[in-house]
Amino acid sequence: MNAVRQFRNGVISMNGREWSLLVACLLAIVVFAVASPHYATSGNAITVLRNSVELLLIGLGMTLLLAMGGIDVSIGIVMGLAAIAIGRVLGADGNPLLALVVGPLVGALLGCVTAAVVVLGRVPAIVGTLGLLGVYRTAVFVLLGGQWLSGLPATLTNLLAASVLGIPVPALVIASAYLAVWLALRRTPYGLHLLAIGNSEEKARLSGIPVVKVRFMTFVVSGVLTGIAATFYVATYRNVEMSIGSTLALDAIAAVILGGTSILGGRCSLLGTVLGVLLLRILQNGLLLIGVPSLWQPVVTGVLIIGVLGFEAISNRLPLARFQRARA
Amino acid sequence: MTEPFLVARNIAKRFGALTALADVDLEIRSGEVLALLGDNGAGKSTFIKILAGAHPPSDGELVIEGSPVAFSSPKDAAASGIATIFQELALSENLSIAENVFLGRELKRSIFGIPFLKRKEMRQRVDGLLQELDAHISDPEAPVGSLSGGQRQAVAICRALNLNARLVIMDEPTAALAVAETRKVLALTRRLAARGCAVVLISHNISEVFEVADRIVVFRRGRKVAERLAAETNHEEVVSLITGAHPDVRALEKTN
Ligand SMILES: Nc1ncnc2c1ncn2[C@@H]1O[C@H](COP(=O)(O)OP(=O)(O)OP(=O)(O)O)[C@@H](O)[C@H]1O
Ligand SMILES: [Mg+2]
Repeated sequence: MNAVRQFRNGVISMNGREWSLLVACLLAIVVFAVASPHYATSGNAITVLRNSVELLLIGLGMTLLLAMGGIDVSIGIVMGLAAIAIGRVLGADGNPLLALVVGPLVGALLGCVTAAVVVLGRVPAIVGTLGLLGVYRTAVFVLLGGQWLSGLPATLTNLLAASVLGIPVPALVIASAYLAVWLALRRTPYGLHLLAIGNSEEKARLSGIPVVKVRFMTFVVSGVLTGIAATFYVATYRNVEMSIGSTLALDAIAAVILGGTSILGGRCSLLGTVLGVLLLRILQNGLLLIGVPSLWQPVVTGVLIIGVLGFEAISNRLPLARFQRARA
Repeated sequence: MTEPFLVARNIAKRFGALTALADVDLEIRSGEVLALLGDNGAGKSTFIKILAGAHPPSDGELVIEGSPVAFSSPKDAAASGIATIFQELALSENLSIAENVFLGRELKRSIFGIPFLKRKEMRQRVDGLLQELDAHISDPEAPVGSLSGGQRQAVAICRALNLNARLVIMDEPTAALAVAETRKVLALTRRLAARGCAVVLISHNISEVFEVADRIVVFRRGRKVAERLAAETNHEEVVSLITGAHPDVRALEKTN
């Protein structure tokens, strides 16, 4: 009983921000349902959830990165590269096991590259990952040779569209990833170290925290989650296009910030990230259905980011502002 | 006389072209409160950061109980029994008191090879420490950023106590404190020494220093210019040592 309450209070307890997001999601659903007759169908609900899978996984990693005072603007293209690797394995008629592990593996590898640049090379995360974004974009182009990978075999699709005890595999994977990240963040020394680094790297170092190790590991974890996202992407679409993942980083950062994670680091909400992802995908899907061209989607995302950060600055809720004042 | 807990020999620290410390020899003894005095920028904080493993020395060596040590991180120093309360406190404002007290050396249990925090035990230990310190903190779960200066100092001291340190270093621990809290911290330094701990105290308040210190060391422009037993010197002499008006200091600075 106690354990259940503890679980409720911890893993899924809601703060003001999270309640507002939930209300915003419901409100958006009602508005779109009224505006479009095609909106409130079970088919469309599944589409929205389906479209949220990659962003949920990547958002969990981005939450860790931002909480640590880091960021990764190349994450969408990292998913693209992992997807290409998976596509190549499938195209070569590789075995299903290899197809399943190659995504997370490539993700981990690219996470190591990012960490090498940002953590070992001490390049600020925003600059380092922007540089990698440029490199990876060209890599995607070269690897695809200007052509889509398309008509890939349904090997992964059959595996990942299945259900276990009536629960779809994607839901199981996302729930497991959420729980694992939550436990790491709130119940292990790693989580404390990550938040301490997000608050102040120098203070964390003085406290005896292995700053380099924690930062390195977090970029790798984010890479692995992105590799899993790539696996779902390929399983669903069975193709890899040139522009793969080009708006994912923006969407992920927007969802994480919407969810109440501090852009300055030191504070985060995993549940907020999940709700932020859902709100974003509900808005994008709804706007499309009421006839707004998909061209406008990044505008919505951008406006949401600016709106949230502007609102926080104005209402003086910029995370840590309170602490900085107390310190001064 | 027993062997000192820690001996610093010929310690120097250069930041680029700037020489923050040169040729410092110092012995730190268990059961003794050693006060480190000196003007702003004299090198006090730099010296204790070397003891704390936060900076590697550019030159010289540290010897703990007869064996030379080289700290590559604050964790190494902590492992050798050195706890430091930094001038800038080094607390994580976004974490709770218990989390701060244990940060970097958490109590954990391993489940399937994954280290999980023992949150209840850490909390209980911290409650006990806070009680021992007589620190009144209403909500131990609150983030440290919401505490007052004195309360933060108490948290930093808890951190040091919790380490069961052999040497506790405090860099201007009373600078931000009101009278009552200052008294508590001073009493605590004496209690630590009585327990057999070595204490290094940095302070700009000379009367405070005379209240608690057994020995007084004066730094000036990165050099150790004087060392006195507290019982064998007085307020005026210490002031003249700090300002450089003392004949000994003048003589020393002429030869250098
Ligand atoms: N990380 C650093 N990089 C460059 N210079 C430094 C660094 N830390 C200290 N210094 C310089 O070393 C000198 C000694 O500084 P330190 O902080 O040790 O003085 P202090 O005796 O603690 O002074 P205060 O009483 O003001 O705290 C100063 O000139 C300072 O500017
Ligand atoms: Mg200082």
